[in-house]
Amino acid sequence: MSIHTRHLDKRFGAVPVLEDINLDIASGELVALLGPSGCGKTTLLRIIAGLETADRGELYLAGVDASDTPARERQVGFVFQHYALFRHMSVAENVAFGLRVRPRARRLDERTIRTRVAELLERVQLQGLEDRYPAQLSGGQRQRVALARALAIEPRVLLLDEPFGALDANVRKDLRRWIRSLHEAIDVTTVLVTHDQEEAVDIADRIVLMNAGRIEQTDTPEALRMQPATPFVAQFLGAPAQGASVAAC
Amino acid sequence: MPAHPRHRRVATTEPAWLRRLLIGLAIGFVGLVLVLPLVAVFTEALRKGIDAYWAALVEPEARAALWLTLGVALFCVPLNLIFGIAAAWAVTKHEFPGKAALITLIELPFSVSPVVAGLIYVLVFGAQGLLGPWLVARDVQIVFALPGIVLVTLFVTSPFIARELIPLMQAQGTEEEQAALTLGANGWQIFWRVTLPNIRWALLYGAILCNARAMGEFGAVSVVSGHIRGQTNTLPLHVELLYNEYQSAAAFAVASLLALLALFTLIVKHLAERLQVRPRAPATAPNIGGIAA
Amino acid sequence: MRLAAQSGPDSLLNVSYDVSREFFRDLNAAFVTRERSAGRMLRIEQSHGGSSAQARAVADGLAADVVTFNTTTDVDFLAERGVVARDWRQRFPLGAVPTTSTMLFLVRRGNPRGIRDWADLAKPGVQVIVVNPKTGGNGRMAYLAAWGAVRDRGGSDADALDFVTRLYRNVPVLARGGRDATGAFLQRNIGDVLITFECEVISVDREFGSGRVDAIHPSASLLTENPVAVVERTVARRGSAELARSYLNFLYTPEGQEIAARHGIRPRSEAVLRRYANVFRPLKLFTVEQHFGSLAEAQRVHFNDGGTFDRIYTPGKPA
Repeated sequence: MSIHTRHLDKRFGAVPVLEDINLDIASGELVALLGPSGCGKTTLLRIIAGLETADRGELYLAGVDASDTPARERQVGFVFQHYALFRHMSVAENVAFGLRVRPRARRLDERTIRTRVAELLERVQLQGLEDRYPAQLSGGQRQRVALARALAIEPRVLLLDEPFGALDANVRKDLRRWIRSLHEAIDVTTVLVTHDQEEAVDIADRIVLMNAGRIEQTDTPEALRMQPATPFVAQFLGAPAQGASVAAC
Repeated sequence: MPAHPRHRRVATTEPAWLRRLLIGLAIGFVGLVLVLPLVAVFTEALRKGIDAYWAALVEPEARAALWLTLGVALFCVPLNLIFGIAAAWAVTKHEFPGKAALITLIELPFSVSPVVAGLIYVLVFGAQGLLGPWLVARDVQIVFALPGIVLVTLFVTSPFIARELIPLMQAQGTEEEQAALTLGANGWQIFWRVTLPNIRWALLYGAILCNARAMGEFGAVSVVSGHIRGQTNTLPLHVELLYNEYQSAAAFAVASLLALLALFTLIVKHLAERLQVRPRAPATAPNIGGIAA
Repeated sequence: MRLAAQSGPDSLLNVSYDVSREFFRDLNAAFVTRERSAGRMLRIEQSHGGSSAQARAVADGLAADVVTFNTTTDVDFLAERGVVARDWRQRFPLGAVPTTSTMLFLVRRGNPRGIRDWADLAKPGVQVIVVNPKTGGNGRMAYLAAWGAVRDRGGSDADALDFVTRLYRNVPVLARGGRDATGAFLQRNIGDVLITFECEVISVDREFGSGRVDAIHPSASLLTENPVAVVERTVARRGSAELARSYLNFLYTPEGQEIAARHGIRPRSEAVLRRYANVFRPLKLFTVEQHFGSLAEAQRVHFNDGGTFDRIYTPGKPA
């Protein structure tokens, strides 16, 4: 599913957090929203999910104006930075949640739900942990439960907020590769937020580089590196030597 | 393993005598301040024998006081449960103007002396009060009748549940609710399946505290009760009246009833805490959801 | 169930002071029985508490049909607010005071300190237990009894002031209320003598076992009045005026007076008084009006902040 935004503005009180955001993400892409903390990237992600509303501008999901569609109807898989797993539910119950809260007419029977949960847990390599509770899992395992839970609703788009932020270095690398391969396997439009340029470069088809509420440049990792549109882009992505040359020009 | 006990001793740096002294002090304090008075209540209550004890409890006025007290608690606790959840939900899961004022207002009954709380209701609903003439003209009795007792009890017990819930819900944040939202849950489903299960123990604990206070409240109720025997006399008031009438044994017998209610509450709380520590039964959450669905 | 003959309300609420429950329980039973034989089924509800607090509650709307207090100022308080008739004193016989009491002494069994009269209370080394006049009606009556006893013997106000000052120097600690004072005297065994209402002696005997204390009647003491009044505000609304009057008048009947006497409350009927002469030993009784003008006047001069009592008694001052 494609995502387009036109002239999105958002303020928190008097503070502008997003200004004139025009974003174009094609169906099936894996895009990283990259930028220093406080640049508005998480807010943009939450606007796409429907957890925040923009003050102005439009959001199109699959070409349809979704600016006023409630979050629960957007069919967006959202993985929170700290996973937000339901702490009183087992792994299986967490994953099944999105299926169980469907309106009666669209609800699957319990047997089908169980089969689906088993498939999803297999996909995220958590077979055998169905009855554990979130508190009994490692960080990486929780991350994958959150992913499985988001995938259970067959999202049209997968949104990941700092998906590796809370993990240690080794796990991050593995998970990065794994998400990349998962993306290729399920072919769902994926947007992830990160402040780590190495991570963005490693995983994304294209990078949206943001600074202070604005999009500085949107391009492939190579293009960003080779043809930075602004000094900020060059500085943010560049090696120290290149940074010096930016400062020189 | 011989090394094991030595390791344990190393783990605490305080000398043994100090530990024993502190433990002794704690036990002594609890004994003196809590256990001794409790024992005294039952000793005094049984001073004139088990028959007199029983007679004091089954006396019509004592029975009426017991039913009144239980009835008031039975009415106030569920109402405060609803109010507490609504207030905590509003305060912790939403942003709105006047939120800080609302939090302060929720806490207000804790900072007002119960007697003053009672007087406030007399000033509002009493014959010489704000609404007095209007009420008198319509022959509606609020203070010095059951409605007054219920109102002041609601007032003094209203913060208990909200106070238990607000810090917990603040700590838990709103992310789980947001996650449920993106997964397609509606508001009602979010409340029953996500919010409520996460707060159920705090809720139970708050309800227990609320109930204990509702049954034990003296000051505020004393002001608005009117002390009509067999009608508006609650158990704590009945204890006072008996005591003032030089009927100590009866007074302590009725007091022991209150103490037993308190002990019962304590046991319920203890059981609740044990349930909480134990790995929870996975069936609970879907059950709650099942009720809602 | 209503009998055909009956009209009007079938219940009354009597708001009363705090140690009168047993008396009114018996009195109500007798009244209900009498009314039943006349074909009227009745219920009398009772409310008991500190007299002044009860008066406040009635003023604030407690739906009493009648009040039966142990201090006339509490009825005056209601009269000022139009809750009872202004001339409530004239509405019933004997100034609307069907029963009285007086202040006397309780000493430990055998009277080891040899206390006979007021003067003995001011002797050095005697410890007197008494209620704080600022917090309890019992304490106000004890104070006025002590002061009045001096005046009654022909002493001046200066003599009375001197005596009362010395008496309160013998008070180790003021009790908050009647029940506190008795508790201090009999449970914690503080003091040699307790000044209290005559009608409390019977309850004290029952609660703490008879024979632990002796009652001492001084040569003269204060007559304290237990006034009654119909609460006009309530009876007008409920139509219970006739019933309320008939109930209060019952207090004056030989039967009502007899029941009062049985509970240690002084009847006004000379005949009943004589029958209970062993309980109500004769002593010279003086009234508040004789030596203080009125209770309200006494309150103003002696007990209000900055009054005589504040000047003679300093808490914590060594005796």
